[in-house]
Amino acid sequence: VNLRGGPAGEPLEPGPELDRARLLTLRYVIASTVILGAAGILGVIMRDSQAGVDRVPDAWFYAIMTAHGLGAFVGWAAFAVMGFSYWVLAQVGFPVSPLGDRLAKAAWWAMVVGVAGVVITCLVFKFGGSWVFLYPIAFHSAGEWGRWTSFFFNGSVLLAGVSILLWCGSILVTVLGPALHAVSTNVFNRIGVALGFGYLAPQRFATNPRPVPYPVIPLTVIALDMIVATIPLAVLLVEMMIQSLTPSVSVDPLLAKNVLWFFGHPVVYLLLFPAVAMAYHLVPRLAGRPLVAGNVITIGWVIAVTANVIIWAHHIYVDYPEGTPQAAINTAMQPLTFSVTIVSALSLYSLFFTIYRSNYEWSAAGTAVYLALVGWLLAGLSGLVNATIYFDVVVHNTLWVVGHFHQMALLNIGLVIFAGIYAWLPDLIGKPLYSDTMGRCHIWLTFLLGTTNSALWIWQGLHGAPRRFAVLPHRYDEVTQAGVPLAIGLALAQLLFVWNMVQTFRGKGVDRVPAPSASRRMLAIAVVAGIALSGASFGWAAGHKVGSTTTSAATTAPATTTTAGGGGGGNAAAGKALFASSGCSGCHTLAAAGASGTVGPNLDQKKPSYAVILDRVANGKGVMPPYKGQLTPQQIRDVAAYVRSVEGKG
Amino acid sequence: VNRVAVIIAVAYSIVSVVAIVFMLVVARSTRNRRRPEPESEHDLQRLRESEKAWFVVLVVLLAVLLFATIFFTPYGRTAPKNAQVERIKAVQFAWLVPGKPLKAGTAVEFVLTSADVNHGFAVYTAAGKLLFMVQVMPEQTQKYVYTFRHPGTYTILCLEFCGVGHSKMQGELKVVA
Repeated sequence: VNLRGGPAGEPLEPGPELDRARLLTLRYVIASTVILGAAGILGVIMRDSQAGVDRVPDAWFYAIMTAHGLGAFVGWAAFAVMGFSYWVLAQVGFPVSPLGDRLAKAAWWAMVVGVAGVVITCLVFKFGGSWVFLYPIAFHSAGEWGRWTSFFFNGSVLLAGVSILLWCGSILVTVLGPALHAVSTNVFNRIGVALGFGYLAPQRFATNPRPVPYPVIPLTVIALDMIVATIPLAVLLVEMMIQSLTPSVSVDPLLAKNVLWFFGHPVVYLLLFPAVAMAYHLVPRLAGRPLVAGNVITIGWVIAVTANVIIWAHHIYVDYPEGTPQAAINTAMQPLTFSVTIVSALSLYSLFFTIYRSNYEWSAAGTAVYLALVGWLLAGLSGLVNATIYFDVVVHNTLWVVGHFHQMALLNIGLVIFAGIYAWLPDLIGKPLYSDTMGRCHIWLTFLLGTTNSALWIWQGLHGAPRRFAVLPHRYDEVTQAGVPLAIGLALAQLLFVWNMVQTFRGKGVDRVPAPSASRRMLAIAVVAGIALSGASFGWAAGHKVGSTTTSAATTAPATTTTAGGGGGGNAAAGKALFASSGCSGCHTLAAAGASGTVGPNLDQKKPSYAVILDRVANGKGVMPPYKGQLTPQQIRDVAAYVRSVEGKG
Repeated sequence: VNRVAVIIAVAYSIVSVVAIVFMLVVARSTRNRRRPEPESEHDLQRLRESEKAWFVVLVVLLAVLLFATIFFTPYGRTAPKNAQVERIKAVQFAWLVPGKPLKAGTAVEFVLTSADVNHGFAVYTAAGKLLFMVQVMPEQTQKYVYTFRHPGTYTILCLEFCGVGHSKMQGELKVVA
């Protein structure tokens, strides 16, 4: 059978089929890049707030954290590589059918509306359940958000899930579609072909007469897996929408936790596998030779397609309640998780040795994809630590994990996305790139500052620093503050990218190569600046002792006396915000603050005196924790003034 | 710093440095102007064949890591007969600790429950060294056995995000000789 282009790996001819893939990719890449801008700004705000540069109230910190996590991970990284998948498939001869096109457009709309919903429920209605929204936290908001917010948040995440399912459909329709119809009418045969079985059994699964091009394999793997992984989560999200409005409905929290991670692990590979497909396609072209891959890589993918959906419990190694089989499940998942690293290790081997001794093109795209391989290796190694129970139990839910997944999402997937933009945007919009040198500066700065930023988190994690703390214990302050210039530098480096894109879209690019000496000089400046800023931040963290931010806050807070407070030196208005952000409502009832906690005394009934409030907040009593380490004396007076002013008045 | 964390730091640093040196060598190899021609098909075939050897090496390395670590999980530990039982309940945003001091040198069986959402029970020394952690779930009982070697005041932090007061959810354990 001689297929038109197709499975032999030739790109589609210019025409309506290529245009369809082009416009789909363009639409995904533009939307995801806009989301990156928003998510990145939220990330810088969090870095600044944690370091005490510009502290946001705890409730807002967690709302920003939720929007940043879902926005950057799903709305940017996943969304972008989902879009590039269509272009990669078109480049290896797999056209998107009209049905695939409709599914892809529906997936786009579902994602855009879903991400907008997440952003609104978090940044307007203060949903702060974190991006894993671990059941049943949506229904225990400590007075921060209401049931409709919870309903719409879960509904928005459900839309993102629906988007993933629609995307899987469009990818399967494409890889099993017209290009392979001539090979076999049996759909299972075609799945075998698309999974690369032709490398192992050419008689039965090869096409034309070669097996499928390598980039098809990871896309087929993830499209199959995400259907399996997303459906249980979708059911849980529907349950949570119902429970938001009908509190009598509930589900077992341990089951819910397993369902969340049954999706939560594969969704990481929704980022990684399409990025691998992009690298499989880009690297051979940049190196000027075919991918150095043997048949054994197909075995890696067979392991991956199976293991991907049965290794979720490595995210819950520190859960093993009495009388449940969770400990046995967790133990079994360590070797299974190890097995899924094989495909990454083989892919890295293939990609590095495709580059080895080639005339590799060190353009912006070439630099980006190479540094992405470095990021992938570092992220894979830090991930292996989390995959090992013995290691994970001391870094679980510490900033180590935050360091690990920023290595993965930003320095691996993110750089592959930038590589895709620098390499393919000229083809996608028919205009040359404005400046390749500017692109290389952007890539180097992003890599250097991002890697150092992650290294700080990894360092803090090894010292037991907890993740998802609006305010970290003071012993971590120096290193946290060292992250601020890195985060700001990382954001500024993206301005190079933005400017490059603006000029490219305006058609300011010309097909010219700048003088190598000027180009080298600019690049050297960027690299030296990146290394200098990274080194300075590290050095500062190690050597510079800064006063605790609590102390500085105490000296600057105005000591206003309220008339209603009945006690000296407290500002009731400031106290109101502190009452909400400090989580007082989790335990106490105070009608004026909308608080209905029942763990501690009911403040409306007890009507404690100013002095008693000061003492209890500062020193704690019984189960009430002392707050003197976390609130300044002035803040404690503010809370006391507020409670005095409203108690019993609700 | 926790002893296991030191092992991680050393292992991760060594492997990362080896990996980075390897990547510099690969990057450098593309700059060699004296060998402008791409590798011959024969050389590429050899590299493809070597991937199988790498596959075998990889499986061996992973097996070594697996057998070196899998027998050191925190699972299945049972408390000795003389253990002190410490029942702690987690609520948003506090640890309800009985308050009676624990004895150093005698095993403590922590019996942990949650009144509302998922929490993470993590115990630190006064100097900030993480000793151990385990999650606490609603509707479940989680146990953990630990023997404090030294008397002193230990801090409990919450290591699973539990809501707006998460970072303020701190508690204390008093351990006496």
